[in-house]
Amino acid sequence: MTDLTPITALGAAKPAEVSHGSLTLTERPDIGLASLALRKGVTCPEGLPAAGEATDRVFWIGPGQWMIEGPGQADSDFAAQVKGDFPGCSVTEQTDGFSVVEVHSHDGAAAIEALLAKLVNIDPVALAPGCAHRTALHHMTVFVIRRADDQIAIIGMRGYAGALWHAVDLAARRLES
Amino acid sequence: MSRLSGGLIDRDTPLNFHFNGRSYQGYAGDTLASALIANGVRLVGRSFKYHRPRGIFTAGSEEPNALVTLREGARAEPNTRATMTELFDGLVARSQNHIGSLEHDLLAVNDLLSPFLAAGFYYKTFMWPRAFWEKLYEPAIRRAAGLGALSMEPDPDAYDKGFLHCDLLVIGGGAAGLAAALTAGRAGARVILADEDSRFGGRLLAESDTLNGAPAVDWVAAVCAELDQMPNVRLMSRTTVFGAYDHGIYGAVERVADHLPTPGACVRQTLWRITARRTVLAAGATERHIPFADNDRPGIMLAGAMRAYANRWAVSPVPAGDKVAIFTNGDDGHRTALDLIAKGVRVSHVIDTRTDAPRFGDYDLLSGATVTGSRGRKGLRAIRVAQDGRETWHIVGALAVAGGWNPNVHLASHHRGRPVWDESALAFLPHNPPMGMVPAGACVGKGGTAEALADGMRAACAALAELDFSAKPISLPEAQNASAAQAPYWHVPGTRRAWVDFQNDVTVKDIALAHKENMRSVEHLKRWTTLGMATDQGKTSNVSALAVMAEITGATIPETGTTIFRPPYTGVALSVLGGGDTGEHFRPKRLTPTHGWAKAQGAEFVEVGPWMRAQYFSRDGETHWRQSVDREVLAVRRDVGLCDVTTLGKIDVQGTDAGEFLNRVYANMMGTLKVGMVRYGLMLREDGHLFDDGTCARLAEDHYVVTSTTANAGAVYRNMEFARQCLWPDLDVQLISTTDAWAQIAVAGPKSRALLQRIVDGFDLSNEAFPFMACAELTICKGLRARLFRISFSGELAYEVAVPARYGQALMARLMEAGADLGVTPYGTEALGVLRTEKGHAAGAELNGQTTAQMLGLGRMVSAKKDSIGAIMSRREGLAQDRRRLVGLKSCTPEVQIPAGAHLFTKGATQSLKTDQGWVTSACYSPHVGGYIALGFVENGDRRMGEILTAANPLEGQSFEVEVTSAHFVDPEGGRLRD
Repeated sequence: MTDLTPITALGAAKPAEVSHGSLTLTERPDIGLASLALRKGVTCPEGLPAAGEATDRVFWIGPGQWMIEGPGQADSDFAAQVKGDFPGCSVTEQTDGFSVVEVHSHDGAAAIEALLAKLVNIDPVALAPGCAHRTALHHMTVFVIRRADDQIAIIGMRGYAGALWHAVDLAARRLES
Repeated sequence: MSRLSGGLIDRDTPLNFHFNGRSYQGYAGDTLASALIANGVRLVGRSFKYHRPRGIFTAGSEEPNALVTLREGARAEPNTRATMTELFDGLVARSQNHIGSLEHDLLAVNDLLSPFLAAGFYYKTFMWPRAFWEKLYEPAIRRAAGLGALSMEPDPDAYDKGFLHCDLLVIGGGAAGLAAALTAGRAGARVILADEDSRFGGRLLAESDTLNGAPAVDWVAAVCAELDQMPNVRLMSRTTVFGAYDHGIYGAVERVADHLPTPGACVRQTLWRITARRTVLAAGATERHIPFADNDRPGIMLAGAMRAYANRWAVSPVPAGDKVAIFTNGDDGHRTALDLIAKGVRVSHVIDTRTDAPRFGDYDLLSGATVTGSRGRKGLRAIRVAQDGRETWHIVGALAVAGGWNPNVHLASHHRGRPVWDESALAFLPHNPPMGMVPAGACVGKGGTAEALADGMRAACAALAELDFSAKPISLPEAQNASAAQAPYWHVPGTRRAWVDFQNDVTVKDIALAHKENMRSVEHLKRWTTLGMATDQGKTSNVSALAVMAEITGATIPETGTTIFRPPYTGVALSVLGGGDTGEHFRPKRLTPTHGWAKAQGAEFVEVGPWMRAQYFSRDGETHWRQSVDREVLAVRRDVGLCDVTTLGKIDVQGTDAGEFLNRVYANMMGTLKVGMVRYGLMLREDGHLFDDGTCARLAEDHYVVTSTTANAGAVYRNMEFARQCLWPDLDVQLISTTDAWAQIAVAGPKSRALLQRIVDGFDLSNEAFPFMACAELTICKGLRARLFRISFSGELAYEVAVPARYGQALMARLMEAGADLGVTPYGTEALGVLRTEKGHAAGAELNGQTTAQMLGLGRMVSAKKDSIGAIMSRREGLAQDRRRLVGLKSCTPEVQIPAGAHLFTKGATQSLKTDQGWVTSACYSPHVGGYIALGFVENGDRRMGEILTAANPLEGQSFEVEVTSAHFVDPEGGRLRD
């Protein structure tokens, strides 16, 4: 185990968490990420979600491309593990390519959908649980995953983590007021 | 006070406000306009050009006259329509566009000079001396003919933005809009009902009509209550849908807190982008007036507005006992007379242009009569009426003018659908509205209450039928259609000025003058006279002006046509259009993994695209950035330096055809690169010019990592994806960006190997084991996954080490700690630039889109053994024969700076485009050389070593002598980076 101490995408030792009204925002630096791309002639492994969809651990990011999530595995060589799980596929380490912000509502779907309306141009009806979209948020590229009625994950580029957190935090705070 | 009985104001909630320093009182539910009228304030502003006294003319967003500066200090907002301003306690407003008091405006002299100030006068005057226009004439004209002034302070309020989606967007909450929303809401469709007013109801709030035998507001309240209970319906009052854009997207501004003294914790306004599958446009109609001589006096207003003030706000335009007259060309004006009489207001006459005008009540009716003049400098005192060839003066305190109604076709026309003239309605009606929009109600000429209700329901059913909703007709309330009969009477002929456009002081005479000047097309008429411009966009004047022009030209109104309708429907604050992100958050910033560390070291940062990069690191005692940069450069050349280079684009390339793919996107060969090695690469554009440069590292047979410049990271990735997906889809290659995933730190300088040796986990860094341009995956700092590249931008022995980004900051700190005895020094982008300039390495200034590989002296890198993007085009005559070459330039006077961008000329030659020999691309002070140096492109530069050229900066009148040298000021043999 290295003797270097990591920091979160927001530059802190511990992940950020804040609540505004019924919404709680949580930074998730513990999630390991690895992208998976099909090679020519390789049969698509079973269980990978279709375009615009997500499962518990996998979301679609493009034609023949997925992102695999590994909660709690950010400090491991997660890409190597995924490579083992999907032989014959191209796997790229992405754990630190992104910053994951999860938003949980303690008051059902309405608060989540009100937040989405302030952030992304996606019809909440088209973002039902199990859906994942790549879209623009405050001039940034993000993945938005509807994990459940009352929970979303917004995954943006790590360099933009501060700007992404600011945007989501401000929108949630304004909903509270 | 001239309050009437009834109305929709809350008399239990009095509100105090100030106008021009005087205190007044109104009630909750008032607008500033209704409260001013209730307090007997008729004079509220001065006209644009002639500074004529002006009063409130309308009761809605079409108001041309009653523009005030609302609030004070930084929140002062000019040109706010008093008619749309909801009264709140403590409201402060003041009038605009006058010098001295509103009552005694010094610029009222302009009215006396009006013969010299006709339309377009400034196109023909103020022509000499030419320089005076910008410096004297224009500022003076703008001062004299202006609207309000900005506070010049930063806007203290917050603004927001958002996105909404619905099956049916209903624009306008009047009779048609409410019926449409209720129909759709009950059908289960997702509905958004938006109205610019503070409450729904539209003209139902302004008329005395009944629905089901009860006041219309009862039905409105019941419908709103039902809609409010529907989870599928969103009610948005105070929301103006201002534009129809592509793909069913509408722009809307919700005035969240404009009705409050201050927004408090709320945002002031929200910009909504509404994506609607279908839209019902129920925007209603705007009343027009009938121009007559001196028709602009305070006290003259639209008849429908006067009716609204009486019915909704319970105010009379005159004090009790004074009389009101109505001037109309149709039956609608008579409704005003009846409503005023019902409210106890004395009506002197209804003056109807029609000889066969019907009588609807007990009032004096003058048929076949017109108003031909008025008196009262600061408020109407009398009108002159012509009937049967006789003219008589009548004492009145106010005049209501009813010239018919113009359907609000604006949003239906935003996609260039030209409205069509309907002779029976005497109005332009929507034609070819945006796809998915169904206009309904008064905006298609169906303004009667009963027909508007029915048409709104019909429109909703029609729109929803296309979406497979089975919308059922709803039970509509029993309603009437007031008679809308009218005569096509457009203006009263006369010799005195008759205003058509109040906001821009455009009269019938001005339109006649435009005709004489051959400005007859409506578009020319608009520009020549300024008719229809400014904040009201001519809502009360455009059609009347067309009619006047048509009369003059002898053409019909449809032949005369309309101008183009464009968003916004009403003025939109730039603050809300900006979406609310200002200052630090104006645009997202991209931070490097070591940003926090660099900040703690006192780094100055520079924007590089969205990235914030450390520019240099000041130390105590350094008073100028050059001192810091020189120190950093020398430290790298002497010892070892560290620089965060994470920002360079990193693209992961995998697949069995990865090598072949890279052969095709790079000009040079990449497929032959050995595993564990790196190669410098050039990418060309399709036209053969240089696109980008970078490195390509082969980590495995089927795995490369490509780097690009910071600036082109996105573009290179995009182009590679295009090539993968569209040009060569058969190749087995997969791409993905990993720029953010890896923190990459350049470790450069003769002691870089010694430093790295202290952190690698048993990795052999010797020149033999890890030579120049080698790469490897390894572990450092006791087991951390890392990548190491032996590449150099500085010309020194150098490496770049990459670790997962979360460890970037800790690695930087560890390297600083481990290298303290080696003199390790962090350096920023300025030193990076100096180092690469000293070494003659190209960067963005050299790869500016106009240069070629040959010009960089790298022509042989464009491989002839294979095809690649841009290779063939790079050999075309025009490029191949270009003889400009990259050279170094040394200032002949070492302490004199060479300006980047200067053009180069043969010494002694005249300086012109024909004699131009090239230009300076990059320039800096070189602490290594001890003077200013530069890079540049020079004609036959590789053959002109030692020649003295003139670097000219004609913009500043400067000339400098420079010596042409090798571009490699440091270690031209390249021994250092290979040691």
